[in-house]
Amino acid sequence: MTADTHGYLASLLAAHGALPTGPAAWLARLRGAALERANALAVPTTRDEDWRFTDLSPLYKTSFQRAAAPAAAPADAIRRHFVPEAGSRLVFVDGYYSPELSTPQDDGEAYVGTLAGALRRDAARLEAQLARHAGFDDDAFAAVNTAYLHDCAVVAVPRGAKVGRPVQLLFVATQTERVAYPRVLAMVGGGAELTLVEDYLAIAEGAYFVNGVTELAVDENASLRHVRVQRDGEAAFHIATCVASLARDARYVSQSVSFGARISRLNHGVRQQGEGTDCQLDGLALVAGRQLADTHSFIDHARARGRSRQLHKCIVDGAGHAVFNGRILVRQGAQLTDSAQSSRNLLLTGRAHVDTKPQLEILADDVKCAHGATVGQLDQDHVFYLRSRGLSEPAARNLLTYAFAADVVDRIPVASLRGALEALALQRTQGKEQPE
Amino acid sequence: MTSPALQNLIEQPYRHGFVTEIEADVAPKGLSEDTIRLISLKKGEPEWLLEFRLKAFQRWLGMIEPAWPNVKYPKIDFQDISYYSAPKRKKKLASMDEVDPELRRTFEKLGVPLHEQKALAGVAVDVIFDSVSVTTTYKKRLAEAGVIFCSISEAVRDHPELVRKYLGSVVPPGDNFYAALNSAVFTDGSFCFIPRGVRCPMELSTYFRINTEESGQFERTLIVAEEGSHVSYLEGCTAPKFDTNQLHAAVVELVALDDAEIKYSTVQNWYAGDKDGKGGIYNFVTKRGLCKGRNAKISWTQVETGSAITWKYPSCVLLGDNSIGEFYSVALTNHHQQADTGTKMIHVGRNTRSRIISKGISAGQSHNSYRGLVKIGARAENARNFSQCDSMLIGDTCGAYTFPYIHAQNNTATVEHEATTSKIGEDQLFYFASRGIAPEEAVSMIINGFVKEVFTQLPMEFAVEATKLLGLKLEGSVG
Repeated sequence: MTADTHGYLASLLAAHGALPTGPAAWLARLRGAALERANALAVPTTRDEDWRFTDLSPLYKTSFQRAAAPAAAPADAIRRHFVPEAGSRLVFVDGYYSPELSTPQDDGEAYVGTLAGALRRDAARLEAQLARHAGFDDDAFAAVNTAYLHDCAVVAVPRGAKVGRPVQLLFVATQTERVAYPRVLAMVGGGAELTLVEDYLAIAEGAYFVNGVTELAVDENASLRHVRVQRDGEAAFHIATCVASLARDARYVSQSVSFGARISRLNHGVRQQGEGTDCQLDGLALVAGRQLADTHSFIDHARARGRSRQLHKCIVDGAGHAVFNGRILVRQGAQLTDSAQSSRNLLLTGRAHVDTKPQLEILADDVKCAHGATVGQLDQDHVFYLRSRGLSEPAARNLLTYAFAADVVDRIPVASLRGALEALALQRTQGKEQPE
Repeated sequence: MTSPALQNLIEQPYRHGFVTEIEADVAPKGLSEDTIRLISLKKGEPEWLLEFRLKAFQRWLGMIEPAWPNVKYPKIDFQDISYYSAPKRKKKLASMDEVDPELRRTFEKLGVPLHEQKALAGVAVDVIFDSVSVTTTYKKRLAEAGVIFCSISEAVRDHPELVRKYLGSVVPPGDNFYAALNSAVFTDGSFCFIPRGVRCPMELSTYFRINTEESGQFERTLIVAEEGSHVSYLEGCTAPKFDTNQLHAAVVELVALDDAEIKYSTVQNWYAGDKDGKGGIYNFVTKRGLCKGRNAKISWTQVETGSAITWKYPSCVLLGDNSIGEFYSVALTNHHQQADTGTKMIHVGRNTRSRIISKGISAGQSHNSYRGLVKIGARAENARNFSQCDSMLIGDTCGAYTFPYIHAQNNTATVEHEATTSKIGEDQLFYFASRGIAPEEAVSMIINGFVKEVFTQLPMEFAVEATKLLGLKLEGSVG
């Protein structure tokens, strides 16, 4: 590492003073604490075990600054990405909330809006939840994000409410050389149900940096379906932390798709804090060219009778590089945990590269835990079968590659988004460099 | 969870805990260039070997002790260890009868009387008592076949060109902290050379034994199998009971040329400390095999039941095309033992294949980690790997960890990894009970079934010994 990695954080934090002061004293204190922590931390390098395979030095070469003002958003281009099923929608452009494009909600069913509005509504609940799930003590990027916490998408569903239509959160990058700090807090009350779509995309091509934190609090017996789509520009950097905390008997189902960015990293954590929780974590990374997609997941079975299922798939084309580290911790006392994890990796070219590490740490004895990992190429017999049915070699390969991805994409509960992603996956698996 | 009768079984005291009082020639504590020169001088080594040691020492000085393994132990003071201890001898021994009677009794207590073993098993035994090889049996029969099997110091004296050619060629002196330390101060070990086309007429075996309190053991083993040769090597370990932790940092290097096959089996039952975790051996070992030629095969089988801390990764570098690497392991930890063990399979050549079967059993307050690496290099066309690591937990105060790293850089390679964790279930015990089988016996059967895939890889005598060992160490930890 040649870059001054400590100086990099300082350069990110330089604009901190320009941030408007928050309306609540506790929020200012929180930001202060995060700023202090960020100043004390160094950015990770490949010498850190958690970042061994993801070299961020290209990121450290550019000191990205926050966009000075909300850009005049190219409304039509953004509207194309609206999910028609969504009942409410928040749009953030280059890190700024866009009231013109957003459809907030504030009724008995849910509150979907900005932090300012949420503070007026129920400040105590926010104080109890915000930055309580995604800690920033040893995560430099989460610390910087929290230091810049100003505008935040807040979704609050009261106890027992069933939100019928999905909530869409859209984070759009329109300017290059900028950094955005997206922040999401979703709170699903006891017995409530919510489908949340988080979508990161680019209108402009070029390098920019997304440093996001998403916190999801799922109360007792509540259910959250979470779809996370990362289709940033191919020169972008995307580093995000997403943590879901599950109370007793809560359910969390998540599909996370990474298509974009030059280097992307998702730290996806699930904390099973009550007994009898159930989570499903599906991931798909589809990279080509010189892209790198890194997913670090951490499922923490802290209480008994928890169940988790995880399927993570990587398709690597060109000279792409996919990294997966799936950590599952079964703490002492978390008896009757049932956990299964599967990492499937498809290498399409001789220059593609994958690093996978399914990691189990088990401290309770009455548990059922299994994990599996495979790395391979398309099965020649499958290709042959399709060719015998009249498909050309490239068509057969594309179909099989697409089918590999479809396992995850098909599970997305929002039809129009599923369709859009299917189209995108097809487009990405076609016309690329053919296997050697 | 645990019934009293079973508790008794778990808490079997270490039966090999005794100290043989032989006058030992111990070097003063501490490590410096002078210590290394002293070792080299005492052993009458050639200049090139001293240089090898000094270079390794220079590398070691610049290295930091690794902190990444999933084990915890107090910091080792490397200046508080004596790096050389040899039983004092007056002359070279020609036969077993001349061996120190005290030493012979030690082996009898261990249950490995040499003469008996000669007759029964037909095993040539190169006995390592502390650091100097005392006797080698069956040398003649091996010599007829052209096999060289002797202590490494003898090899340095009698076959310097072979040792010089291969020493450090698989594990370079600067490979890691403990390998560098070993390269600087190793005192003895075994050397084995199988010439072209020879199938070694018997299984080679070495009994290691650590004696003399506070003397670290730095063994060096080098096995070279020339084109088309075959050898099976057995390593078994016991150590006397001491309260001070003892460091053991061995290096084992295997080289297999074209069409050669090396099978290396270990049963390790060193002192693991008492049931409160006091004492025990620190076993920080570097073992690596190089499949240098085409169609070479290296197979590691290990049964790790002893040591307070085990930290070892018998690995295979599959350089030659079509070469094969295998790793079969049973690691058992009880009380406060910690094990961080596994393997590395480095696929470099085309059509290379590897297979990993690892079974971890944790009981008591122990922590048992599997850490493995499967690396498929960019040139390793059609490489194939299958890994399976299963863990079994006995009791709710122990831990089982799996850290399998997979790096694939070639799209024609196929890598498969699977792992499961289980316990001995109530329903299984109930089923056995309904068939009239007592819980103790049932547990023993379940565990034997769990480790069967590995034990079938062991040579016969070892398989018997290992089955007994597991039974002794663990039987009935579940109630």
